[in-house]
Amino acid sequence: MTEQPALRTDGLGKRFGSRWALKGCTLDVPAGSVTALVGPNGAGKTTLLQLAVGLRAPSEGRVEVFGGSPRADANEVLPRLGFVAQEHPLPHGFTVGETLKLGQKLNPRWDDEAAHGRIERLGLPLGQRVGKLSGGQQAQVALTLALAKRPELLLLDEPVASLDPLARREFLNTVLEVVTDGGITVLLSSHIVADLERVCDHLVILSQARTQLVGSIDEILASHRLLTGPRGEAETVARMHTVIRETHTDRQTTLLVRADGHVYDARWEMHEVDLEEIVLAYLGYGSGAGSPRTAVGEVVAG
Amino acid sequence: MTWVGWRQQRTEAVITALVLVLLAVLLVPTGIQMAHAYHHDGLAACVGADPSYDCGSAIDAFHSRFGTVAGLINWFTLLPGLFGILLAAPFLIDLENGTYRLAWTQSIRRSRWLAGKLSFAVVGTLLACGVLIVLVTWWRTPFVHLEGRMDNSTYDAEGTVALGYGLFALAVALAVGAVWRRTAVALVVSFVGYFVARLFVDGWLRRTFLTPKSATFLRGARGPDLNRAWVLNQYPSDKAGHRMIFGDCVRSAGPHRAAINPTCLAQHGAGYQHATYFPAHDFWALQGIETALYTGVALLLIAFAAWWTHSRSA
Repeated sequence: MTEQPALRTDGLGKRFGSRWALKGCTLDVPAGSVTALVGPNGAGKTTLLQLAVGLRAPSEGRVEVFGGSPRADANEVLPRLGFVAQEHPLPHGFTVGETLKLGQKLNPRWDDEAAHGRIERLGLPLGQRVGKLSGGQQAQVALTLALAKRPELLLLDEPVASLDPLARREFLNTVLEVVTDGGITVLLSSHIVADLERVCDHLVILSQARTQLVGSIDEILASHRLLTGPRGEAETVARMHTVIRETHTDRQTTLLVRADGHVYDARWEMHEVDLEEIVLAYLGYGSGAGSPRTAVGEVVAG
Repeated sequence: MTWVGWRQQRTEAVITALVLVLLAVLLVPTGIQMAHAYHHDGLAACVGADPSYDCGSAIDAFHSRFGTVAGLINWFTLLPGLFGILLAAPFLIDLENGTYRLAWTQSIRRSRWLAGKLSFAVVGTLLACGVLIVLVTWWRTPFVHLEGRMDNSTYDAEGTVALGYGLFALAVALAVGAVWRRTAVALVVSFVGYFVARLFVDGWLRRTFLTPKSATFLRGARGPDLNRAWVLNQYPSDKAGHRMIFGDCVRSAGPHRAAINPTCLAQHGAGYQHATYFPAHDFWALQGIETALYTGVALLLIAFAAWWTHSRSA
């Protein structure tokens, strides 16, 4: 645990006018992890990523990338960061080749060979104008640009949201390849949970400008359970464990809990839950009758 | 940044260059013709103290031959504004499309990116306006010999003011676009702003830069050289320079007839002319002040655009 995290935030907050887009965000993204940033639209995912890459300045708290401030130490931090913005804006008048040249001119650590190799593998002609490419191809060019910087931390803001399922799969495969090659930390935001389990090993759930859950996916899966038992006994469970979601039928109560230790009571039937259901529970979407969340748990990254 | 700056400004730079080439195609042949006619008709001899009668008709002939083409120069005063606004466009498009985010997340600081982009626009505008000034000044040489260059349309196109006009238009477009983030809006607003500022300075402010000279001189005698001056005001006066009010010396000469009483006029010391004017040698002082004014405002606006973009954008 002494290894420096790739990204660390401490009480990080960003206010736009009177509205907090992000508040009290404290988390570590461990070096070498592939972390998913999950939350509904407007939860603060983009704000967090923009703070991390220095596009915005925090209203309060601190954000550090490899120990440096992305704004104050931009010269040290920026070369180590790869960023693909939402809608991956590229200058549409540029050709693919010129876009690569832009990357080469603006980045001292630029890997021209890798960039051209990747574009070649994608089958994109260098003379093609970026504006004429499909959305998926543009996303791939933007990713190529970010990767050729040889970043140590890659930040992807909703990279697949605008892509069709095939392009989405290809894009995530590229990310997987890069991760497998090693030495890179990835933080990617998405509101599509299904894609993430395949790619990610850590999870951050953001909702209403706050972090609801931070941790490794294995631990999250191991610690969350669905309990079904007699009605009216929920309090006993809540004394021991953190109840994330509570739903009732006439005779039964179903609880989604983060179990702090063993569930010993034989009256409760225990099931494993999948990641999507956990995420939905934290985001406040009940699967039955909507009942309020009793508590918000926090698992510290391992 | 140099290559990127050039690449992003390329289209606008090419359009600007094309406009200048087009202008040269129009001006160079007529300019050569004019210079030729000027020397051939011996007009140089007419520039001086007492133009003879022959000179008068030669000048008239010259005017009727080239007057229409020379009238074109009135339109050239819009060009510095167009250049400035055109060269502001790459910056505005970058802001509107969000592509600046791509640049800001590469390895260079946003301040360097801003400095690169803005200096490209400034240098481009200065170059374009500079070429325009050189072209027009060369072309107008015969007219300047004959009439001086205090005339509004000549004054606006020669000297250094056009540099200030171009920078000003560029700066307004940059500032409006930085705040508004709509290229089309910024271009329209800045063109209107450019026009209004020019009307205001040309029509009123310019005459307050310096104290104009005044002179009272006997009509028919040699007064100051008002031909080449910027004359604000000129009227018949008495010897002290007071405006002559002929009514005082008009007496009734029967029904529906009036006559001026010569004795009365003589008593008032009439027969003089009074003029308020900027002499020709004030040209550079006026140009200097006006250029400094436009450039100063432009630099403030550009600094504001840079600050706003730097601190308010993400």
